[in-house]
Amino acid sequence: MKALTFTLINPPEERLDLSILTPSTLAELTRNEIAKLRIGTSRRPASVGDLFKITGSDPANIIFEGGHSRFDGVASGMTGGSIRLVGDAGNQIARAMTGGSLYIDGSVGRHAGSGMTGGRVEIRGNAGDNVGGPLAGEITGMDGGVLIIRGKAGDYAGDRLRRGTIALCKGCGDYPGYRMIAGTIVILGRSGIMPGYLMKRGTLLFDRQPEHLSPTFLPCGEPDSPFAGLLDRYLISEKITDRALLGARPGKFAGDNAVSGKGEILYRKKGR
Amino acid sequence: MSVAWIGSQPVPLADAVRTAAKLLASSRCPVFSLDADVHGTRSAIALAAVLGAAYDHRSGDAVAREVALFTDHGGMFTTPGEVRRRSSLIVLVGDIAPAHAELFKGWGGSSPDLGDKAPRRWFQVSASDRPTRRGKAVVKAVPLKGEGLSLNATLAVLRAELQDRMVAAPLQNVERLKKAMASAQFPVFVFSGGSLDQAGLVMLQDLIVDFNSRHRLSSLFLPDDDDAWGTVLTSLWMTGFPPRTGFINSLPSYDPVRWDVQRMIREREADVHVWMSARGGEDPPKRGSAAVIALDKTERPARGAAVTIAVGEAGLDHDGVRYSSRVGTFTAVRAAEPSPLPSVSAVLRQLAEAMPGKGTLIC
Repeated sequence: MKALTFTLINPPEERLDLSILTPSTLAELTRNEIAKLRIGTSRRPASVGDLFKITGSDPANIIFEGGHSRFDGVASGMTGGSIRLVGDAGNQIARAMTGGSLYIDGSVGRHAGSGMTGGRVEIRGNAGDNVGGPLAGEITGMDGGVLIIRGKAGDYAGDRLRRGTIALCKGCGDYPGYRMIAGTIVILGRSGIMPGYLMKRGTLLFDRQPEHLSPTFLPCGEPDSPFAGLLDRYLISEKITDRALLGARPGKFAGDNAVSGKGEILYRKKGR
Repeated sequence: MSVAWIGSQPVPLADAVRTAAKLLASSRCPVFSLDADVHGTRSAIALAAVLGAAYDHRSGDAVAREVALFTDHGGMFTTPGEVRRRSSLIVLVGDIAPAHAELFKGWGGSSPDLGDKAPRRWFQVSASDRPTRRGKAVVKAVPLKGEGLSLNATLAVLRAELQDRMVAAPLQNVERLKKAMASAQFPVFVFSGGSLDQAGLVMLQDLIVDFNSRHRLSSLFLPDDDDAWGTVLTSLWMTGFPPRTGFINSLPSYDPVRWDVQRMIREREADVHVWMSARGGEDPPKRGSAAVIALDKTERPARGAAVTIAVGEAGLDHDGVRYSSRVGTFTAVRAAEPSPLPSVSAVLRQLAEAMPGKGTLIC
């Protein structure tokens, strides 16, 4: 069967909530029923048929031909199957996703991967603030899965990360790993100020020595640990990097001593 | 004197109200920027509910940062009265808004009459990397800062040092603070949303929670803008949510990103903007294509507004109810210089009555 394809006809005038367009919710619907689904959020909300031309019939594989920064909630609550979006997307993509795969061939807004517990998300462009972070009133952020940002991420990436892996391939803004509870964040390129501020546990990995650390992180030398080699192999197998990130005997900081001091920052030493 | 304008032309108030009502009725995505007393805020939220609009405070970013401490984290707080009567140790965090200077002056000249009744001591946590932005200090406080440390880094170090953990850069006078905290029965950290960013606010509250496992310690939150905090509390009792709330199918929905009114205007999502400035002295934002309905304390049409209606200020032109951080709750204020200018609430009620098929506001 050919993938169910939504081709954008006109740019939306309002923010859209696309959380309803996932493989599990579309599985039981006919094309006419899908076209009538309301996705606009203004006083005169648009329906799917107003904005998209619908072709194909396989709801397990969904393609959006054309994106927009007003596309909120793409793959939100997704449990399986695959979604590919050619273009940009808005806020809360892959929100509370539990399985399947999402590929976005553009940039996304804030709270990408918020509350995600499984599955794989790859974003070719940049991401806004709070990657994997919780929404207002929530206790934890991302709780599983793999989230790869090939571009740059904004501030507070990995806020309250509890489980899973976040990779930021072209650096990030301030406070990566903010309030991190556990899990792993990989940062290639420059990061902003105070990585790991308020982190409890978990691991932040850098391809260089991090700058602007909080004074509550302390250097721990270059421990010889098998973890670095294992992790490097995992990152290559997941196609996050194409060469070893940490190498042998990476440098290490422990912190945040303002909290419990059980988190760690590992980084590749210069010249290795 | 004119009190209403369409564009730059003075018109009778009823004409301006009718034009504004037409704009709102035909709008696809109306938004409100609030700045009024409690009655004005209640009327605005009630009208937003009728219209299916979104609302935010005019100082949206600063208010959102203060609100985020409560929605995302929480904390331990006390009231100004408790601080005045019980606290012999006050630690100021960052630069507190100048509006609270009188409060500190009052505390500086008195001692607590409950608790340990010891003479009041003052400390101030501050950044070393920039001078204070808010003028001369009103009380003499022992500085707590470290070489080259930002305010957030200073707070992190202070929290670690109070738990006797190792740090890479020590603070000045931290031993004095530890000694003072050990002897004071009710130490209090005083902060405002404008003096710290989101991460700093969370670090401060966690510091207070840590210390409470061994000793009593609390914090006093002084809003950067009392009227804005009054708007937050009014919104909470009306909808269950603070500002940056929108109405979808008549139900309120809180989302500080989606309903950020300044962003909605900038990104051309909003098409009609009801902009309030009951205290005057500001102009509507330039950016965006939304038609502006300005409720402004002004004697001239607001710049770029489709409709301007002059309104009075609560406590000056008319009686009203405003939040006061000095008492930690709402207070009734009498008109100091009564004038015929209508209140924001009165104008919004007229607007609601002029809307086709809408009628009176329920609030």
